[in-house]
Amino acid sequence: MYQALLDADAISIAKNFRSVGLPTRRNESYHYSDLKMLLDNIGQIATTATSTGEFAFNIANSFQLQIVNGEVQILGDKPPSGVVISTSNGGMSEPNKDIIAQLNSALTKETLHIDVSENLETIIQVDRCFEGKAALHNDGVEIYIANNSSATIVEVFDGSSEEHLSNSASKLILGKNAKATHIMVDISSKKTRHLQTVQYEIEQGANLHSLIIHAGSSLARTQLFANFNGENAHADFAGLMLVDADRHSDITIDVAHKVPNTTSTENFKSVVRNQAKAIFQGKILVAKDAQKTDAAMMHQGLMLSDDAQILVKPELEIYADDVICGHGATCGELDENNLFYLMSRGIEREQAKAMLVRAFLAEIFDPITNEDLYDILAGIADDWLKE
Amino acid sequence: MSKNMLEIRDLHVSVEDKEILKGVNLVIPKGEIHAIMGRNGSGKSTLSYVMAGKSGYEITKGEIILDGVNILDMEPNERASAGLFLAFQYPIEIPGVATMTFLKAAMNAQRKARGEEELSTPDFMREVKQAAKMLEIDNKMLKRALNVGFSGGEKKRAEILQMALLKPKMCVFDETDSGLDIDALRIVSQGVNALRDANRSMLVITHYQRLLNYIIPDVVHVFSNGKIVKSGDKSLALELEEKGYAQYDESAA
Repeated sequence: MYQALLDADAISIAKNFRSVGLPTRRNESYHYSDLKMLLDNIGQIATTATSTGEFAFNIANSFQLQIVNGEVQILGDKPPSGVVISTSNGGMSEPNKDIIAQLNSALTKETLHIDVSENLETIIQVDRCFEGKAALHNDGVEIYIANNSSATIVEVFDGSSEEHLSNSASKLILGKNAKATHIMVDISSKKTRHLQTVQYEIEQGANLHSLIIHAGSSLARTQLFANFNGENAHADFAGLMLVDADRHSDITIDVAHKVPNTTSTENFKSVVRNQAKAIFQGKILVAKDAQKTDAAMMHQGLMLSDDAQILVKPELEIYADDVICGHGATCGELDENNLFYLMSRGIEREQAKAMLVRAFLAEIFDPITNEDLYDILAGIADDWLKE
Repeated sequence: MSKNMLEIRDLHVSVEDKEILKGVNLVIPKGEIHAIMGRNGSGKSTLSYVMAGKSGYEITKGEIILDGVNILDMEPNERASAGLFLAFQYPIEIPGVATMTFLKAAMNAQRKARGEEELSTPDFMREVKQAAKMLEIDNKMLKRALNVGFSGGEKKRAEILQMALLKPKMCVFDETDSGLDIDALRIVSQGVNALRDANRSMLVITHYQRLLNYIIPDVVHVFSNGKIVKSGDKSLALELEEKGYAQYDESAA
């Protein structure tokens, strides 16, 4: 990685990386995901690969794009009215100071830009494909939803069944009174290690619904940073980790209410079985002037085996004195009484379990109004349950 | 073919080393309705749960034969597919499971277990509509999650709806009258009576005689201290209502 950074002319990051290296458990936000321990084989920077020509999801009335091994592929379709697609050389502008975000920015060859300036009916789908032999992938997508505009963006992470390491970044800027639904789904092969940094800038009156789904990758870590920069804005952050075997899944989010009168909810769920591990860390910062902030954090875990682990850590940092800020966590097994009731009507144990897990996940999927998208995402959960 | 739908022979059941059922013997011939009456804590509900196959009960002795087949080693779903149905005293609320999804899953699971074809959606809808009409269940209720936000009466009607759709041969009603007002009691009883059949037997567990004015039993059993202590015709229920259970507590002690 050091040489790759030098080759990319990222001298200061290279130096920093050589002295500090990958984050370890001493770094609070990586406490349960010590990347130095977990990433034993980083691999070489991915080389150009051609698109398979197929998309991970097919949603009616969608505009689809692909980034294959870090290179944007425009596949001929014209973007819908009110959408401008462009690319820029190099990585994300103003990346977060987190080392993984810095590495992504330094090593990304090309950033995809999506600018929306209308109320878009068409769903925008971006597939990031990690193809060919095991390699290190870096890519970035910057989305801008202009004032009074709205869009639904779906990002899918998928690829060949190899020990890839993907370091992806997404930035979504919501203009005044803009609305966005932003869904990120990792269905990478179970050999892949997947890291993603998400950055939100939320302006006055804007409304965001963010959903992260981890259903692939031996190691998946999404870190999310959100800034409320304008008043009367609202965001719902949601996530789902479906983790089995000895896989490791981590969602770490950091929400900063910087101005008065903004509200947010966090609704995260994890379902674990075998020796799997799910981690949720939620930080809420309320700045000194951010009076009337209302922020509620919740993580609910469902353990399908005794050997699995769910680790949850809230962190509230509140400097204002007139705020509502809460956090909660639950963790449990399937209710035997519920199972018995379903089985007493003739439903087999495995199907009864699947019905109860789906019921547990209803809160995550119910807000998705697009039927195709709902079916695809709920289908991912169903497939996972059947494995 | 057995002429008896249900035979319980010398059934002993313990929970955490405490014996709850102490030698239950009960035979219900095909087409008959029997009632079990007993005070709270006498073990009536335990009997219904053990029949349905709930975990947590240790069967130390005895057998339960359903239409000639010993069901004690079966999973709850296998017992259901074999024709047993328990109407719960407290039907379970399951948020996130749509009532219609549940009904269809249950009906199809039982059909599959019996080697029958799955129901088509139109056939399923037709059957549900018919049964719902009889029980005065409106569509809004069916659109909700399973038992969630249902009143006590609605929950009991939903249980009978399930029974009407699953067409069991042996129905067990555990305190179905609890929490019901007179109107709900009438509707539920009508639903139950509509399902009376020469090839279907029923066991009504209750501690009030009231329900037995609506669902007339062929035989009434008095349950006390973990077993049946007396059996008689429907007049036994009236006698119990008048004199109470105390006399049987003594005989059992």
